[in-house]
Amino acid sequence: MVFSSLTFLYFFLPLSLIFHYSSRNDLFRNIFLTVFSLVFYAWAEPLWIFLMIFTAFINYGAGIYIENHQNTTKAKVGMVAAVVINLTLLVSFKYGGFLYDNLNFWIPLPFDRPSNSLPVGISFYTFMVISYVVDIYRGEIKAQKNPVNFLMFISLFQHLVAGPIVRYSQIKNQIERRRVNWNQISQGVTRFCIGLFKKVAIANVAGVLVDKYLDTHLYEVSSYEAWFGLVMFSIQLYFDFSGYSDMAIGLAKLFGFDFHENFRHPYAAISVADFYRRWHISLGKFFRDYVYIPLGGNRKYHDRNIFIVWFLTGFWHGASWNFALWGSYFGVLMILEKHLKKGLDKIPSWFKHSYTLMLIVFSRAFFYFTDFGQLGYFLGNLFYSKNSIKSGIASDLTTHCFWLMLVVLCCIPWNEIYHKRHPLTLKSMRAYAYVRPAVNAFLLILSTMLLVNASFNPFLYTRF
Amino acid sequence: MDKKINVVLFFLIVVGFPLALILFPKQKRSSEEKRNLAEFPVFTGENYLNGLWAHQIDKYLDDHFPFREDFIHATPLFHQAKGFQLPNSERVVVVKKKKDPKVKEEIEKDTMAFLDAFEENFSGSMLIIDGCVYPLGGGSPKMSKYFAKMVSDYAANFPNIRVFSAVAPLSSAFIPVAKYRHFNGQNKRTLLAIKENLTNGAIFSDVFEELNNHSSTKLYFGSDHHWKPLGAYYGYVAFCKSAGFEPVSLDKMTKKVKYNFLGTMYQYTQDPSVLAHPDTMEYWEPMVQTEAVNFGAYGTSKGMKAKVFYATSSGGNTYSTFLGGDQPLMRIKTSVKNGKKAAVIKNSMGNAFTVYLISHYEEIWVVDLRYAKQNLTQILQENNINDLIFAVGMYAAMSHGTIGMMRQLATQSGHYIPPKPSEAPELPALNPSVQPNEINDTIHQP
Repeated sequence: MVFSSLTFLYFFLPLSLIFHYSSRNDLFRNIFLTVFSLVFYAWAEPLWIFLMIFTAFINYGAGIYIENHQNTTKAKVGMVAAVVINLTLLVSFKYGGFLYDNLNFWIPLPFDRPSNSLPVGISFYTFMVISYVVDIYRGEIKAQKNPVNFLMFISLFQHLVAGPIVRYSQIKNQIERRRVNWNQISQGVTRFCIGLFKKVAIANVAGVLVDKYLDTHLYEVSSYEAWFGLVMFSIQLYFDFSGYSDMAIGLAKLFGFDFHENFRHPYAAISVADFYRRWHISLGKFFRDYVYIPLGGNRKYHDRNIFIVWFLTGFWHGASWNFALWGSYFGVLMILEKHLKKGLDKIPSWFKHSYTLMLIVFSRAFFYFTDFGQLGYFLGNLFYSKNSIKSGIASDLTTHCFWLMLVVLCCIPWNEIYHKRHPLTLKSMRAYAYVRPAVNAFLLILSTMLLVNASFNPFLYTRF
Repeated sequence: MDKKINVVLFFLIVVGFPLALILFPKQKRSSEEKRNLAEFPVFTGENYLNGLWAHQIDKYLDDHFPFREDFIHATPLFHQAKGFQLPNSERVVVVKKKKDPKVKEEIEKDTMAFLDAFEENFSGSMLIIDGCVYPLGGGSPKMSKYFAKMVSDYAANFPNIRVFSAVAPLSSAFIPVAKYRHFNGQNKRTLLAIKENLTNGAIFSDVFEELNNHSSTKLYFGSDHHWKPLGAYYGYVAFCKSAGFEPVSLDKMTKKVKYNFLGTMYQYTQDPSVLAHPDTMEYWEPMVQTEAVNFGAYGTSKGMKAKVFYATSSGGNTYSTFLGGDQPLMRIKTSVKNGKKAAVIKNSMGNAFTVYLISHYEEIWVVDLRYAKQNLTQILQENNINDLIFAVGMYAAMSHGTIGMMRQLATQSGHYIPPKPSEAPELPALNPSVQPNEINDTIHQP
């Protein structure tokens, strides 16, 4: 199930809220939330739920074992074993086919290619449980003793499918005891409606244009169209993913949880490093704390550490070499920025912002094309194409001009700019507060309309 | 207080709609979509485990959502608000069918069922009827002879190969409005002119006749310029009849469906009525194992793995389900072991047609007349091709440019030659005895 579906919005969500708030007992609330989370996960792919429960079971036991043998070799063995099991499951189910293809290319393998579908959310919950056992080993958190609470932490439907990667330390108090007030629920409602609108009215619209300009006959695409397609894909990626994170954070608030921010207006960044301090923050922090710093951070082999982290970040996004190329591209850019920092600091901000955007938009090509043949052809078109521009691009710009303005407005960090210069007055805050319910209702109804319209499947000619 | 209003209003909306769904009477059929709405699925363990039950529940809730038709009618307002609208739908008129006895007599002869009332408008040279876009025209019998000559020349130069002409008519042949019926006749005359001008044993596949016999069903997409897989199937049946094959019936293939296809005609017209009527694509996969390779535009030594059917193609790219769209040169090896090999010269119209051929050939070379730079003579000779099939849409058969490209396939070098945009395409005479490098040398002469 996904948040942007009518089933979730109008059936799963109200039912889960009613059950959750029908009891004041925290244990009952956790049981309801766990059951609803498992139903959410099992909606489309019931079988993979056993893999997630198995992962939860292993790490629940590992957490208690590590804590019981804290500061001994057994704790280290327990931690390493848990991490190895988690990574083995991730590699087997996510990268099995990829490994098979690459090994089989050199040495013919005597067995068939694994053909399993990717278990939904495995990349996210695997990283969550790794951080859990490592944090216990480091003595930063206590192991969760209640298996229901632990299963709820892993399976919370708010973060299960597409993150953010929530660490146990962030919500451990809320798992045990949640205090919810009108203010928090109201914030959750607002955040959820904004996220839904970003996904349905911006990302999905951009997706149609992406299909038109990138998922097409590359032989006919001109340079302008190729760049336009990449810009649309950049819009789609950001609004899709940040919209989902907004919905996750909003839903968490509805149930009394506080998830950390996952995006902070990344397209306002003035360097590539700045961009990734604003984009998918929970993943960046995971790699910083569990890969980059253990490798030596900036104390030794700094460049190597940066490259390894970005190479792995690339692979985390997908089991294909194009993602590794994408990660390596950013690894190299990060290293270059580090070495050129003194010179870059002297450049005007608008120029830094422009080159950052250019590099980010360009990188989307590595992200989009999983086939290197297509990627090469597309990159060629990007910089040199004899194809003429078709009239479609002018008509798309004309018919989407207000929508594009909205996209640009949504990418600007108004809070950062406005609050610095003009702190909000109590009066203006009150005025906004009274408009907010109507705005949220409008966004919700508008998103619903677009979701309903997506179910319109006419069979016109059956009447003939 | 404002926070409570915010929460209560949200809760009223998310609870109100499901309550309305439970309380309101439900429709069984959508008159606008001309289909039965989904029924509440029966729960079975098997359906649940394979995810079908959940999918059917989603479908049921989508189909019976309260005020669904009102939401659908309001959606174009959102799309119009995205920017300035182009003036392409100004001439919207509702035309009642005239009670003209002549027309009536003509209709009675047809298998086609005409609309009694419909919305009609124009976008450039395109006619839009009830959200379906049709090109206006039906080719020219005068042009047919050039295409027929080119096909016949192939037949003369490759006497051991059966050469077929399987040209698809335009969708204008099947406009469900009586006053545009003359396009049907125009398409027919154009294609029959190909038949009349074929010589040297080239074989004519009567695609038009086969499609015309089934014109009571929708054979072309409304939002795209291609034929539907069902239309392509009848094209394939016509080919089988001319080739002496027994066509595989559709019920012996695996049927699949894709929804919400808005193709090139929508992109071209940007017409809200087309947007409101996205196509549904039913297609059929023959139960034949295949191994496909794409070679790109040059050479045949290095290829990339490919597929005959791309299940993931969707949205505006739904038609790329077949062969992954237009690839310059593709080789398909099948599990059919009869020693027969074919080469298909095609434009995008041929993609949906070619996939049915895998039931009849051990190996198929699919050559896109626009993108392939390989030498067709080499391909035909080195691979002992038995049948050469020209499976193109009518546009390709009506243009000196594309006919020239098809001719040039036989003699082109296979090496990269920078094009000279200022020059008109040449129409070299077919001569397979000329070696590729000779052609290359002559072209490079100053």
